[in-house]
Amino acid sequence: MAVHSGSGSSEKKSSNGVNELLAFNAENMQSNMKIIYYSRTFLSIIGGVVAGILGFTGLKGFVFYLLLMAFTSLGLVAKAKFSIHTYFDSWNRVLVDGFLGGLMSFVLFWTFAYDIAHIF
Amino acid sequence: MAVALTIGVFGALILFHAAYSTIQYKGLLKITEEEFLGPPLNVVIELVIGFLLCFWAALTVPGKFLSIHPHSEENRIVSLPANLDFMIFNHRGKVFPLEMDLKLKH
Repeated sequence: MAVHSGSGSSEKKSSNGVNELLAFNAENMQSNMKIIYYSRTFLSIIGGVVAGILGFTGLKGFVFYLLLMAFTSLGLVAKAKFSIHTYFDSWNRVLVDGFLGGLMSFVLFWTFAYDIAHIF
Repeated sequence: MAVALTIGVFGALILFHAAYSTIQYKGLLKITEEEFLGPPLNVVIELVIGFLLCFWAALTVPGKFLSIHPHSEENRIVSLPANLDFMIFNHRGKVFPLEMDLKLKH
């Protein structure tokens, strides 16, 4: 006889159009979102430093940021072994989440690195 | 985990070294009064290597993805607790469809 105990995971129902799961493990979902957030933030910072050292100005830098985020999304999808629905409930989360927050970190470190390498 | 962290730190150090090389290069350009068209080739290579190392570390260090399926193998929470006095059965689980293939995990 088997018994379900609810001590380890909390289950949550969600039913929007994109979602296929009736209930999923919310704690693991949050942990996955945190991983995405950390990865994107760190890569935005590194990308900002690289863009500053290379001397990008203006639009080139933002195009570099878009490319960087595209690579990051690709890397995250590869990390999830291309089966997004095992780890997340919708594609938007892994592709779009953290884009704007990363943009601000990118611009900050871009200006830092540019100033350090090219102006002082 | 520690390996990935050291690789990330190493990548960051390579980036700092590339920044320092660029500063030196700009100092040289000031002496010869040329324009800055782009960092020298070895700096670009260093940047690419450092960036790739940091990229790999950024995807590996934060941790592994965990499955969110409630019924996957790694999320099994079947257990027979020693003390049955506090187990309740009158919860919202009754709205789930009835599973006829539950297995005990040894």
